[in-house]
Amino acid sequence: MFRGCSGSSAASSKAGTVEGEMLKGHLDMIVLAALAPGPAHGYAVIEEIKRRSAGAFDLPEGTVYPVLHRLEQAGLLAGRWVTAESGRRRRVYELTRRGEHALAERRAVWEQFSDAIGGLFKGSRTGKRPA
Amino acid sequence: MMRQYLGRLARALDFDPSLSRQVVQEVEDHLRETIERDPVADRLEAERRAVAKFGDPLAIAAQFAAVSLAALARRVAFAAVLLIGAVFIAMKARLAWYGVMQCPLAEDMRALSGIVLTIDRWAFWLALLTGAAGWIYIDSRRAPAALTREYRARLRRFSVLCLAAAAALIVCVAADGLLTVLRLIGAQWSVAFVVPLFSVAIEIACAGVLVSYLRAMAGRTTRAACLTPAA
Repeated sequence: MFRGCSGSSAASSKAGTVEGEMLKGHLDMIVLAALAPGPAHGYAVIEEIKRRSAGAFDLPEGTVYPVLHRLEQAGLLAGRWVTAESGRRRRVYELTRRGEHALAERRAVWEQFSDAIGGLFKGSRTGKRPA
Repeated sequence: MMRQYLGRLARALDFDPSLSRQVVQEVEDHLRETIERDPVADRLEAERRAVAKFGDPLAIAAQFAAVSLAALARRVAFAAVLLIGAVFIAMKARLAWYGVMQCPLAEDMRALSGIVLTIDRWAFWLALLTGAAGWIYIDSRRAPAALTREYRARLRRFSVLCLAAAAALIVCVAADGLLTVLRLIGAQWSVAFVVPLFSVAIEIACAGVLVSYLRAMAGRTTRAACLTPAA
């Protein structure tokens, strides 16, 4: 399970910290991908991330909100206040046209990177040194 | 417990009151939804779990600080260039008015006026160049996810550029004020003098607005700096 951005990593292993850093580095892409199906509020975005990653990305939930605000500021998301059925005011975010393009670009880069790393791991699967 | 948590978050975000209000409202909605969906029967336990899952309010506020300062820096940069442009328009309008009203400079003021005009020009171009450089500098870089040392150093460099622009603009406006006095001092008083005086007032207001933006930026940066370890 990837744990990220908690700041309380004293007890975490070195590998765990690396995973956290890895997750932090891709948080923008993760949030954009979670919003790809349609508009959602912060809670729903976090739930979508958990659901689609099968629980692998277990972030401190509060770290997603600064990302939503930053992406909105960058013009990749648009936010608006709505009143929920419960009567509570909540902020709903959706991808802008720029956000959709940014997500498509990041997805292409990620797939290229993933294929390259996959190729490297395939070659080193046996763990044998080359003769 | 949730109220206490939201209070701590609001205090941690007090470097940006409007952001603080918005974030607290969003987080309150999030926590209420988490508590409602928690299967545990004990409400207090559900609140404790929701708050624990949300994370440390200071760490969250530090991430928001980067977002808030980036937005403010962009606004300051844009305002600086806009205000310098407004000063330029006010200067040109005043010069056009002198032409229309045939209001020449008195002969004995020409030498002094020449020196002040040179200072005025240099100060204006310095303000424009440093203001534009600040805008390009801050706008060409993405805001980071957190208020890192590097980002604070970047904000410091940006502030230096803006301070240089503001200082040069103040010199330029002061020189414009002096040039206006030198121009009008020998002339017969007329109601039409309101036009150049008003243009100088606009310039003073522009410089004042820029200084107030820089003060806001310095204040927010100082308050936000408490959220992160010293560089």
